[in-house]
Amino acid sequence: MCADEKQTASKSNAKIIRLAIYGILVFILALLPLLIKSPYVIHVFITTFIYIVATVSLRTVTISGQYPLAHAAFMGIGAYASAIMAKLMGWPIWLTIPLGGVAAMAIGAFIAYPFARLRAFYYAMVSLFFGLGINQLIIVSTKWTGGAGGFTNIPHLLPTTDKVPYYYFTLVFMVLCLGALWRFEYSRIGISLKAIAQSHLVASSVGINEASFRILALSVGCFFVGIAGAVYAHYNFTLSPTCFDITAGLWLFVYALIGGLSSFNGPIVGTALLIIAPQLLSNLKQFVPFISAAILLLVFYVMPQGLVSLPQLLSYWIKERRKKDTLSHAA
Amino acid sequence: MELALSALITALLISAMYIVVALGLAFLLSVMGIINFSHGVIYMIAGYICYQLAVVYGLNQWLSLIVSVIVISAFGIFLERYCFRYAVGNLDRMIIISIAIILVLQNAVNITMGGYVRSLPSFAPGTLRIATFSFAIDKLLTFLIGAALLVILIWFTRRTKYGLQMQAISQELEGAALLGINVHQISAIACAMACGMAAIAGCLMGALFNLSAFMGDNMLIKSLELVILGGIGSIGGLFFAGLLIGSLDAVVPLFSSGAMGQVIALAVIIIILLFRPQGFLGREYH
Repeated sequence: MCADEKQTASKSNAKIIRLAIYGILVFILALLPLLIKSPYVIHVFITTFIYIVATVSLRTVTISGQYPLAHAAFMGIGAYASAIMAKLMGWPIWLTIPLGGVAAMAIGAFIAYPFARLRAFYYAMVSLFFGLGINQLIIVSTKWTGGAGGFTNIPHLLPTTDKVPYYYFTLVFMVLCLGALWRFEYSRIGISLKAIAQSHLVASSVGINEASFRILALSVGCFFVGIAGAVYAHYNFTLSPTCFDITAGLWLFVYALIGGLSSFNGPIVGTALLIIAPQLLSNLKQFVPFISAAILLLVFYVMPQGLVSLPQLLSYWIKERRKKDTLSHAA
Repeated sequence: MELALSALITALLISAMYIVVALGLAFLLSVMGIINFSHGVIYMIAGYICYQLAVVYGLNQWLSLIVSVIVISAFGIFLERYCFRYAVGNLDRMIIISIAIILVLQNAVNITMGGYVRSLPSFAPGTLRIATFSFAIDKLLTFLIGAALLVILIWFTRRTKYGLQMQAISQELEGAALLGINVHQISAIACAMACGMAAIAGCLMGALFNLSAFMGDNMLIKSLELVILGGIGSIGGLFFAGLLIGSLDAVVPLFSSGAMGQVIALAVIIIILLFRPQGFLGREYH
């Protein structure tokens, strides 16, 4: 009884510390535009915020044991849906951004039912082909989307071209989305999803309806990636199908993997590192891919669980080092 | 009638091309369980090596094809030792390492060799006329090479000692090692063979199309479609999948635009896979 109380107390303490760390991080990010005047750096940060929402929503799908390689295509659906509604139909942007998310969610829920038959590797492959098909559809329907040439003159989100208001808007947007996704993951539903990922047979034996939970996970993930895409569209003013093709889909997955899929912070860390570091470290555009590749190789060989496992790895290495030292002293 | 016949012939030739490109990927996935997303880049590199030897240094073109295959096979052994060995059976790690390989090789080629269009000269120039039809001989050659490689591979995996050992490793790695199979050696041979086949495809396709740093991307997707549709674990299934996708690609553009043809082909593939996830002749893959 006593131990139990202690455990809950330390758990709530850890929760408070964690929330405090998040709060400090958001505070620092909010102060950043006062220090940095370069519009390019601010632009990189805005892109990072939008992509963090995309990768964290991707993780929401992966915790139910699905491999969504088509997630960039859903981002594209949200972006194009919102842009078409705002430009061709003249609807207000505050309405079209959530509707873009709803469009992505509807298509996600529609394909989730047949896709619930597939597992692991086959799910990954079929979703890869699905993403490719969506991308080709965007290219084909020239009348609505502008085709391969791109969709231009999308209405602006805010009535300025200054980057700083966009920075604060996307920061608040990211915090709200991450809060919602966090709540979803640590709710009863999220726990059921994790159970399905661990063993779908055991999960269904305790009364978790596997198919409906997987559909729910994909719908929620698609909704958030859809609104992220819509914000991206109204921030960038132009869209091109290449932003949402297979390579982009694999990259979204890689952002999440580099940070580590096992923890909520993983995709955030991975996306931030892989978007910001190459852009800020190199003055030469053509060396950006090599820096990204170096980060990928480093994580592949040194940190199999992703960047979030670095503190554990460090403490393990230090322990090993000490052990060796004491052994050599003893000898 | 004539239209139908010429569409059929085009379908066969396109299928043969796809099968040639997909062979290496299918072999590695079926026999070793390694899904190599960097297949397209290896194929591209082989084309460029062949171009360097044949056009820049003026070597005999068939000789440069053979040299290219040998170099790329050696590179395959390197890949197995330092990359794939740490990623077998784990899709996440396989994606990370493949993307890293793609980034490095593609951008290196793009910076050093990109910029303007290059093309290998044809391996067998000229056309063959039968009745009212004319075939490009190099496409026929691709067809013959594809058929020969397919038969050789099926024979290799089913009848030879090395092929059987590879199958044993893909089924149960520890068990195979306990039975005295040299796991690393056999994996190295499989990777070398797969990369060698990618190299053959790269040289042949480099002569049919233009060379570019991004020529592998589309072909990688086509190969993945073929391999998944044909079924993992069965190289024979590749033949049927190749025929289906090749004929879709040959027939659908007659009625619609190229990109729409892609959409229809993908829809057909997805529907087939939803009802038969293991592909035409495949076994369950974990």
